[in-house]
Amino acid sequence: MADTPLHKPLPEITDLTRPFWAAAKARRFVLQKCPKCATFNFYPKPWCVECGARGLEWVDARPAGTVYSVTVSRTIGMNYPGWSAELPIVMCMIDLDDGARMYGQLTDCAPADARIGMRVAVHFVDISDEAAIPKFRPLA
Amino acid sequence: MRARVAVVGTGRTPYSRIKPGEPVLTVDEYIAWAAELALEHAGMSKSDFDGQALGVAHAEASHTVNWSAATAENLGINPSTLIRADQGGASASAMLIRAAALIEAGVVERALIVGADTPLTIPSIAPGLPLSPERTRGVFWDFQGPFGVMGANAQFALIQARYAHQYGLAAEQLGKIAVATRYHASLNPAALFRKPITVDEYVNSKPLSDPIRLLDCVPIVNGGLAYVVTRADSARAITDRPAYLLGFGEANNYAHGSRTRPDVTVTGFVQAAPKAFAMAGVRPADVDAFEPYDDYPIIVLMSLEDWGFCAKGEGGRFVDEHDLRCSGDFPLSTDGGQLSGGQPGGAIGGFMPLIEAVSQVRGEAGERQVKDARIVASCGFGGIPYGRPGRSCVSLIFGNEG
Repeated sequence: MADTPLHKPLPEITDLTRPFWAAAKARRFVLQKCPKCATFNFYPKPWCVECGARGLEWVDARPAGTVYSVTVSRTIGMNYPGWSAELPIVMCMIDLDDGARMYGQLTDCAPADARIGMRVAVHFVDISDEAAIPKFRPLA
Repeated sequence: MRARVAVVGTGRTPYSRIKPGEPVLTVDEYIAWAAELALEHAGMSKSDFDGQALGVAHAEASHTVNWSAATAENLGINPSTLIRADQGGASASAMLIRAAALIEAGVVERALIVGADTPLTIPSIAPGLPLSPERTRGVFWDFQGPFGVMGANAQFALIQARYAHQYGLAAEQLGKIAVATRYHASLNPAALFRKPITVDEYVNSKPLSDPIRLLDCVPIVNGGLAYVVTRADSARAITDRPAYLLGFGEANNYAHGSRTRPDVTVTGFVQAAPKAFAMAGVRPADVDAFEPYDDYPIIVLMSLEDWGFCAKGEGGRFVDEHDLRCSGDFPLSTDGGQLSGGQPGGAIGGFMPLIEAVSQVRGEAGERQVKDARIVASCGFGGIPYGRPGRSCVSLIFGNEG
């Protein structure tokens, strides 16, 4: 966790998580897939939460999903002050087409138009020289 | 395990918001203060716990790696057994289960359980925000903070929004919970916010992360709490009003339906509460007061359903149809809860429902006493897993007869 208190937080990149950040930087959306039971795991796990198999493999995942829930954050709450300039932020839980669920910011959508059940697609925003974050926008 | 142990003393320090001029106490000082109050209440001294068990709740404030043993050192107690819980708001309740099991097994006869935290004075990553280094490290944070998840308000807002989508929910129904809680706080001199509020004030309070409003949120304080639990037969020698532990149940990392895409409207209380009721030999209808973990009213509502006081999705209607005041037909959060009482950190607020349940069955709740309270249920609820409510759910049922 980089110490940038007045800015947005940056992830502490480890060997476990580097494939996710590096792929996002290259505009690829990858998730850990279980080689044994094919479950997609997220956030990055040490083994498959369904079957307990180690050796999860980072694979390209379909960069699309459905909004499971949505909130419009109007304060930064317990996050970094660097987010203040972007408020309000539309934050969702996204059911990804390949099976995992992910927190994701919805962009290109007025807060009042965000709906549970919306179809959304991944796009990427760089946050550092090493990492990008997947965000989502409505699928036309 | 029914009625094999009893709580015979409790302590809750005054809470501090660190106003100018107030002394700033450390976690160790709050622990000692809460322990002193609990020991006085039980008519015991710290030497009664030499050779017995000491339980210490994990705090967010910085501490040593041997936290429970260091606490014994600071208190000058020589325990034979240390209990340590790091289950957030479920820690206090989980340690009662651990203590009961150790007592039942004959390892110890009694335990002193303590917890304190100083969330308003811990080092913060972001000055002015309660954002400790503990909260902002590791893979769990790395896939939330940088993604723009604004802490518990956003996390619980997402659960509340999903609940409303599946079942329908009126803001006024959650407002009634907040209003009842504040009413009880008005009767409790120890509560932080004691001025009654209305449902309109709740509905019109500032939106923080829709649909979570300001009056959905617990006010954070510094403080400490403690309790003493003993074997039931020795409890009777200590007090004529033991609070017997009639039943307990616990669920950790419960995911409803699917691990990777669970239904987030259901908590682990669906596993924990039936175990507690079965052990206690009572039914939901027998409960005279319910002390939920009320960090947000939506969690209270879901707890009511998952404990079986009403069917899933009927929590709003249940709240509409019942009088939640201590004089009503379903007394709820009778001490003012954390919502109005104050939360001494997410890890320590979990002592409050347990201690209030004990106060009610002992008949020591003063103006907010529920008449003839014989059976009182309380919740431990701790930690926010990724995209779900409540890592740990503990159900406790207390009674005034063993």
